[in-house]
Amino acid sequence: MAGQKVGEAIRAVLDVIGLGLKYTLRPERLTIYYPYEVPDYMGRVRGWIGLWTERCTSCMICARICPTNAIKMYMEKNGRRYPGIDYGRCIMCHYCIDACPTYALYPTDMRDLAFYRHEDMMYTPDMMRRPPQVPKLVPQVVKVVHEYSGGRVVKVRLGEPGEHKPLPPAPSVPVVES
Amino acid sequence: MEIPSWLLSPRLWDFLFDGVVSTLILLTIVWAERKIAARVQMRVGPLHVSPRLGGYFQLIADAVRFVMQEVIITVDSYRVLFVALPPLFVALALMPSFMVPLSPYLALLSRPSLHYGIIMALAVLFYLFIIVVGMGWAVNNRFAYIGAAREALIITAYEIPLLDAFASMFLTYRTIDPIEIVAKQTYIVGALYNPLAFIVYIIGVAMATSRFPFEIADYEGDVATGPYSDFSSIFLALTYAGGIYIALFSYSLLGALVFLGGWAPIAPGPWPADLWGNLAAAAWVMIKTFILMLFFVFLRSVMPVARLDHTLSFSWRWVLTIAVAATAVSAAEYFLL
Amino acid sequence: MGLKMEQYGLVLSEVESGPGGKRTLELLFGPQHPTSGHIRFFVELDGDIIVDIRPDPGFVHRTMEKLGETRHFMMNIPLFERLSLPDAINVTWAYSMAVERMLGYDVSERAEYLRTLFGEMSRISVHLYDLALHAIMIGSSTGFMYGFGLRDLLVNLWAIATGARTTPTWVLPGGVRRAPPKAFYERLAGFLDFLDRKMDEFYRLVVKNPVGYYRLKDVGYLGKSDAAAYLATGPGARGSGVDWDARRDMPYGVYKQLEWEVRVHDEGDSLARTLVRIEEVREAARIIRQLLKAMPMDGPLVGHNATHKIPPKEREMLNELVRMSGYYVTTTNLAEGTGVTEGGRGRYFFQVFGAGTERLFRVRISTPSWQNLRAFMKATIGARLMDLPAIYGSFGFFPPEADR
Repeated sequence: MAGQKVGEAIRAVLDVIGLGLKYTLRPERLTIYYPYEVPDYMGRVRGWIGLWTERCTSCMICARICPTNAIKMYMEKNGRRYPGIDYGRCIMCHYCIDACPTYALYPTDMRDLAFYRHEDMMYTPDMMRRPPQVPKLVPQVVKVVHEYSGGRVVKVRLGEPGEHKPLPPAPSVPVVES
Repeated sequence: MEIPSWLLSPRLWDFLFDGVVSTLILLTIVWAERKIAARVQMRVGPLHVSPRLGGYFQLIADAVRFVMQEVIITVDSYRVLFVALPPLFVALALMPSFMVPLSPYLALLSRPSLHYGIIMALAVLFYLFIIVVGMGWAVNNRFAYIGAAREALIITAYEIPLLDAFASMFLTYRTIDPIEIVAKQTYIVGALYNPLAFIVYIIGVAMATSRFPFEIADYEGDVATGPYSDFSSIFLALTYAGGIYIALFSYSLLGALVFLGGWAPIAPGPWPADLWGNLAAAAWVMIKTFILMLFFVFLRSVMPVARLDHTLSFSWRWVLTIAVAATAVSAAEYFLL
Repeated sequence: MGLKMEQYGLVLSEVESGPGGKRTLELLFGPQHPTSGHIRFFVELDGDIIVDIRPDPGFVHRTMEKLGETRHFMMNIPLFERLSLPDAINVTWAYSMAVERMLGYDVSERAEYLRTLFGEMSRISVHLYDLALHAIMIGSSTGFMYGFGLRDLLVNLWAIATGARTTPTWVLPGGVRRAPPKAFYERLAGFLDFLDRKMDEFYRLVVKNPVGYYRLKDVGYLGKSDAAAYLATGPGARGSGVDWDARRDMPYGVYKQLEWEVRVHDEGDSLARTLVRIEEVREAARIIRQLLKAMPMDGPLVGHNATHKIPPKEREMLNELVRMSGYYVTTTNLAEGTGVTEGGRGRYFFQVFGAGTERLFRVRISTPSWQNLRAFMKATIGARLMDLPAIYGSFGFFPPEADR
């Protein structure tokens, strides 16, 4: 492309100003007003990791495959060691869940975790039985998703996010979302 | 109850009106800049502080934060200028708005000196660049030095065309008195008399107040806000975050009087008999000023930043040509109208 | 480069060559600077012209090559993903290809299609990231928000498909980890329409706009022979007329079966490189649309060799989810493997040497930003100071990837 000619340059400037005016008068916004709205990930996001100690055989594969060495094994009263995850180091890659041969570690889709002290982030095996109870920041939360139609995008409200699923009895095969 | 005469003085009312409304406009224009940019950019802008007002009080929160922040004066800087120049910047930026009338009877100056109001305002506004260069020198780091050098170069780009634009309008109206200039515009405003001069005015003011696409001296990407780089808290509020908009306000006030018709078509009676008429005229001028400022801050969301040598060559090649053409048009109108 | 306080004046180096001597101003375009990224440049300025530029890399050196030797080779995937997170799929694809060649693994057909689809999405993601940073370096914050807003929609798609927004950790040697749900494909088609419209507006706002146009035109010229001699890669090379693309010249994935073009521009300035990027986004959208029609919806996610190691009760899930158990017990053999992919910024090269244990003996990484550094320096000399951000963004220089 050679340098722009004068007419082309003036037209481009007017085009840009027109574009700006068009969006000033009728904006299309993508913002998700967290925490009043949360994005909908269909429950498929890799989140907090929990443990059913009755299925754990202390093989320590989870600790060995963790890329960040976030899993420490804690000696329990019955003489066996169970894993505890340091959520300061965990990157939630779910390698430990995928490597566990007895499906003792289970996934959730909870990623909104915050702690006041560093010591609170180190979870011991007994703390990992139930997902942490996250207090509600605002009284009403709505799940939203961006939907596309004809080249435009709108934000659609999908209703309240459900409670995180109550703990099922330890299954024989893991539940896979689809 | 007897109202004392000094309370009804037109100078006092002009001063108060100008001071109060310029502060309100400053708050609103910064809010408007962020909101307009957000609308173009698919996002929301300030919202959370006062959701029902669209986040307007965010600016008050920002102002409080600026005032409460720790004042840091760097060790290497030249302290006297570091501390003295920001307030001087704001003072010189606001002064021109007091030199022009807001209605035929509301003015701070009286007749013989009011005659030269616009020229005095322009002269004061053209001194602002020296203060910016001084600030860059006082900050004493390399990026500020480069920014100050750029500011000193940019003044050569916009000073002559801007003066030429105003001179063309003076030719068209055959007078330099601001009150007579406004009296000559009823519905055909200055921008319609001489659109070339209006275009030169807009480009010149954008260069003078570092509006995009000409935010070159205090360009964040390159010289890390140049001359304003080591200022913090109240100094920053006086210069980069506030003072520049006050300069824009003064320029826009001049533009509203000369190019957009001032307080026409409102023709108030003498003061203090027609109190509301005069105040309405002043408010009308301020509304036109605000609309002009809105266009300048709108440019932030659609334009990148031009390069220094492109700006200089563009100004000397194209803007000066258009300014000379505007003067030719005005000369024709002088003889024909 | 220790600076003493007495030297902290404005002129730091006086060169006696040239008539009357020359005085240059040395500027530390450091890591603490809005547009320098995580790298320091020592820029020598003569007035407004840059006469010399010396980079000071290493601020983000995370010893990734050494770390790759101290851990199980599967634990390297999240590690190498963080070389360049916007382009996560292409980086881990190169590493997985290297490990596959070392182990002798094959890849299933469905995994190849999925990898290609996500690789093109990754290319769109990194081009949006680079174009957005380039736009804000030129001064247009609107371009920045457009790029990142579009990228936000794209990472939401990655979240439902792979499990995380920006760190997919999705490519395994032999295949991929999870299959995307049906909603993913519908949303992806809608996203591509929106992307086309917004990229056109981005082009009008930043590149065709005469302010941005003249900011990029004839800036940072890199000739064709220079680009080839300095081993520039990616849009840095294709913007100078060097017609090389690893997807076509060292084929991998299913690129051979699709209809697409390599975008090359001959001018060699920043405008050419930026146009190469914008057109590559359109080409990627075109490739994804073809893939959406041809994608096999069923089939194993890993190849046969990897399937042998997976315990039988998990083989039923292979159409949906691949667990780590088979890979945990795999050890590396005493072989080497190389993998080359074309990421958004250029070509990624991984060479792995097995050690016989589950660790690798050596991982050698070559990233496009490190390759482009010499070409970037060559293009900058002779430009003005305000061109430095424009050239920086047009090369897509990314210090975390350069420093590894």
